Amino acid sequence: MTPTEWGIVALALAGAFFGGVAAVGLVRLPDVYTRSHAASKSDTLGAILAIAAAALALQSGLSTAKSVFLLLFMFITNPTAAHAVARAAQDQGIEPWTADEGDEP
Amino acid sequence: MSTGDADPAAGDDEGPGLYVESTIIMTTVRLVAPFILTFALFIMFHGADSPGGGFQGGVIAGSVVMMLAFAYGIDSTRQWLDVRVVSALASGGVFAFVGIGLGAMALGGQFLQYAEFEALFGHAIKYAIELVELGIGAIVAAVAIGLFFLLAAGFDGVAEGDSS
Repeated sequence: MTPTEWGIVALALAGAFFGGVAAVGLVRLPDVYTRSHAASKSDTLGAILAIAAAALALQSGLSTAKSVFLLLFMFITNPTAAHAVARAAQDQGIEPWTADEGDEP
Repeated sequence: MSTGDADPAAGDDEGPGLYVESTIIMTTVRLVAPFILTFALFIMFHGADSPGGGFQGGVIAGSVVMMLAFAYGIDSTRQWLDVRVVSALASGGVFAFVGIGLGAMALGGQFLQYAEFEALFGHAIKYAIELVELGIGAIVAAVAIGLFFLLAAGFDGVAEGDSS
């Protein structure tokens, strides 16, 4: 395998790993703030790594450029959306989960 | 939050008029909105020969207004974008579609028979399809915006901007 192919495989695997971390966090974490934290950070990273792998694998001018645009906008909009969700939750007066409430996380 | 504005969790009876903007969301929306509109036009113009078209592009263009409303507050967006503009967009799209369709009939063809426009300008089929796609896009965008404003106004159909 060429170094480019190794890079594609590494990026795709890393993207799948962070996507899996985001999914586990979304299911396991207790409330909206922690879930949004898991989903925004890990999922953004996973999606970006996966798109980077696709951009590297396409290797043709136009499709790679489109993938890079997608990557850039993902980088900007995904954390902003998570910020908006967390902010709306705080506007609604949702209390953050704390350990002494006795909930099973 | 990082903006350090007034504590938004304090009031539990806040109406839409007391919406506090977030610098992060406003900056992102201002940065991203032109690209989304460009992308909507790109999708509309691609309807003739590749995936895309007026419906998809129109929804994307309408979602820009929803994004602006989420960033700057629904009521200020409603004041900025007059309902007459939305109505004019929708009816203008209808007129563009019907005009293209009936224009082909006036030139002696069938409804929406684009080839008849070849007498007026070159590449008539391509340009006529693009015009129809733009018309459909305008209709869909205006209907999406209007539905969003109607849903945001509540079930009695009255805007509650000046209640507080």
